[in-house]
Amino acid sequence: MTEALYTQLLDLACGAFLLAAVVVLWLRELTVVVRVLAVQGVALAAIPLLIGWYEDEAALLGISAGLALLRGGLLPYLLNRALTGPRDSEHRETRPLVNVAASLLTAALLTLLAYAVTRPLVALEATPATRALPVGFAVVLIGFFVLVTRRRAPSQVVGFLLLDNGITAIAFLAASGVPVIVELGVSFDVLLAVLVLHILTTRMRAAFGGTDLDELRELHD
Amino acid sequence: MSPIGAALGAASAAAGAGALAGLLLPLRVRPLAAGACTTAAGAAGVVAGVAALGGDSWSVRLPGLLPLAGTHLAVDALSGLFIAVAGAVVAAVAVYGIGYSGHGATGAGSRGVQALLPLFAWSLLLVPAAASVSTFLLLWELMALTSLLLVLAEHRLRAEVRGAGVWYAVMTHLGMVSVLAGLAWFAADAGGETFAALRAGADQLSPGVRGAVFVLVTAGFASKAGAVPLHAWLPRAHPEAPSHVSALMSAAMVNLGCYGIVRTGFDLLGGGPSWWWLAVLATGALSAVYGILQAAMSSDLKRLLAYSTTENMGLVLVGIGAAGLFADRGRPELAALALAAALLHLVNHSAFKALLFCAAGSVVHATGERDLDRLGGLRAKMPATAGLFALAALGAVALPPGNGFISEWLLLQSLIHGLQVPGVATAVVLPLAVAVIALSAGLAAAVFVKALGVGFFARPRSEEARRAREAGPFMLAGMGLLAACCVALAVAPGALGSGLDRAGTAAGLAGAPVLDDGTGVRLDAVSAKLVPVWVLAALTVALLAAVGVPRLLRRRRRRLRARLWDCGGGAPTPRMAYTATSFAEPLQRVFDDVLAPEQDVDVTHTRESVYLVERVRFQRRVPDRVEHRLYRPVLDWAERAGEAARRLAPGSVHRYLGYGFFGLVALLLVLAVGW
Repeated sequence: MTEALYTQLLDLACGAFLLAAVVVLWLRELTVVVRVLAVQGVALAAIPLLIGWYEDEAALLGISAGLALLRGGLLPYLLNRALTGPRDSEHRETRPLVNVAASLLTAALLTLLAYAVTRPLVALEATPATRALPVGFAVVLIGFFVLVTRRRAPSQVVGFLLLDNGITAIAFLAASGVPVIVELGVSFDVLLAVLVLHILTTRMRAAFGGTDLDELRELHD
Repeated sequence: MSPIGAALGAASAAAGAGALAGLLLPLRVRPLAAGACTTAAGAAGVVAGVAALGGDSWSVRLPGLLPLAGTHLAVDALSGLFIAVAGAVVAAVAVYGIGYSGHGATGAGSRGVQALLPLFAWSLLLVPAAASVSTFLLLWELMALTSLLLVLAEHRLRAEVRGAGVWYAVMTHLGMVSVLAGLAWFAADAGGETFAALRAGADQLSPGVRGAVFVLVTAGFASKAGAVPLHAWLPRAHPEAPSHVSALMSAAMVNLGCYGIVRTGFDLLGGGPSWWWLAVLATGALSAVYGILQAAMSSDLKRLLAYSTTENMGLVLVGIGAAGLFADRGRPELAALALAAALLHLVNHSAFKALLFCAAGSVVHATGERDLDRLGGLRAKMPATAGLFALAALGAVALPPGNGFISEWLLLQSLIHGLQVPGVATAVVLPLAVAVIALSAGLAAAVFVKALGVGFFARPRSEEARRAREAGPFMLAGMGLLAACCVALAVAPGALGSGLDRAGTAAGLAGAPVLDDGTGVRLDAVSAKLVPVWVLAALTVALLAAVGVPRLLRRRRRRLRARLWDCGGGAPTPRMAYTATSFAEPLQRVFDDVLAPEQDVDVTHTRESVYLVERVRFQRRVPDRVEHRLYRPVLDWAERAGEAARRLAPGSVHRYLGYGFFGLVALLLVLAVGW
């Protein structure tokens, strides 16, 4: 693979990765959001695949396959299962705290901020992978933004996964990935977190008949 | 290996064994085993301290014991004095503690208390031996934490204990922060954190930094020593702790506050300008008068003793301040004398205050009462405890032949002869200091006459006092050891002379002021001399003459037994007897403006007529005025700020997540713009 092709493919993967995060903000139907998340998982898995291919590292290819399975398959599947509730209104993010237009505008601003903040990091070593670093950062911020502004518990899980996808992308882009054992541990953690959140969502629905997070107001002294 | 190292090693081993014994053994043998180990640790501390006072010194570096900095320990004569005092108090109080905590699985006999007490004792022994900032702070914090947990020992029995614990925790940690800030600043500017590096680098510091370091460090240490206005924790924590813990805190722990001031002020910083020492002297004088006044007003026996600790630490600070002042004015021999007086007073205070707290503990143990107004008549029920309390009180009132007299006499000598030193400050401050010492000594006499007379003489004023029984053998043995120390210090203070010289030399104030003169004290610097044995003999003769001669001269008369004339009002009950409150009333009137007592008279009339009174309720409180004016506003402000901050947490998950998000974005913006 030539360097030009590598750069273009990597930028494509990162672009798809960031676009998926923005689309999550745009859509209201949660089943569709989960599908977008699966697409993002695949885009994320493409990053180590490309880096591994270009730098001839077999371990990264294995990690890429694992990531595709986990983030593109297993986690969206678990999320979809959490959405098999009785009522249709539960599956839509009807009233986010910040409306869609403003959310998209904020996403643009956050992306700008990510580019501004990561300038010194990019300046350290300007490889194609490092130049794509702000994308990971932007996805982290957008994920955090989803956590802050979306009401439904499944949306919160989506925000958490966006955040974690962003962190993983930063790890691959900045340092060609973390050691396999750490990657395994982190993936296992994410899987457990999603499972626990799944259980919590079910409990919440049983207790309040809905998954609106604003029902939980007891957390103060 | 030097004897000091071996003894400190043995003390550490014994303390560790004691902690394990307290943790693991069953209740039946727990106090005995833990107490025996603690006693052994204390005895080893005495050996180490006495060896250091004898001119030996020791230092060791254990690089592996603490990460990064390693552990540095060093013992010179100054450390040795404090180690010896702490060791003696620990040994005697541990014997006492075996008897005190021998009953019941809660409170003093519980697993936690029995395991913590050896650790607390160990930290008391090791703090003066620390020779680097990190080691010192670590041991200091260990001492603070173990003592805090011990103060909380009886929290299940009394609700006030928790409040006292909170006060103590907050004040001791604020003090710790102050000391930490001062020493860290010092170490950063001196270019090293061992005490040797600090000593070497102290000259390179600018005067401003030196002053700031001294103020920070002294504020922290003065709060540990219970100096006004940083004393607020002391009259709370000391009464609420179990009595043997109070004894350890009051007789060994507060000393280390003075140790810190002497160590940093004289040794590490190498002395300083007059304003440092005038500030220390003023703080000491304020503490002495205010402490003893509050003690005079208090009718809680242990609170009274706690305020008396503030007074005595104030006197020690007066001595330290005078020593620094004289050293700055180029009179090292007077400085050494003042420092020796301060250190001797500290030793004396440890002896009599430990005994007083132990005796008070026996009273509490026997009656469950600390209120002097409800005690009384204990002399008949607890003769040994009463005698020991009287002996210690004699030391505390600074009258001959008590041990406190000698050190206060030395202190007065140094201050009076300090008037030779030219300067306006000395001409104004020293006579005032002399007056303060005289006033506090006079008030101390009233305080201890009250404690002894109201608490132990007269008739019992409550059922509990009537049922009191003498303390057990272990408690009496522990108190006996402390009483022996008091008597030795009163009769032969000269034996400490050379040790005090070496301690002063270690602090950087060389001179041979207090010469060992057999049993007496001879001050070469000011040509004064005191031989306590002769004072004692003269007093004994005078007393015998005063009691014996009238008895010899009096005609033998037949004794008549008759009922006391009661003005026809019925036999006087113990409720009519003079109480501690009534004893303090004249003093309270004299110092009305200073104390500002609060009185409350509540008259209830009968329903039939306003001319007939059904009930009169009279209430009087003497609040701690410093606390009222200084702490209350700060606490109120903190409370209001806390209430306002509570509105930040309404319970919305989104709000909480938002705090994190906006915090992160703001930080990133700052980074992005700042780059």
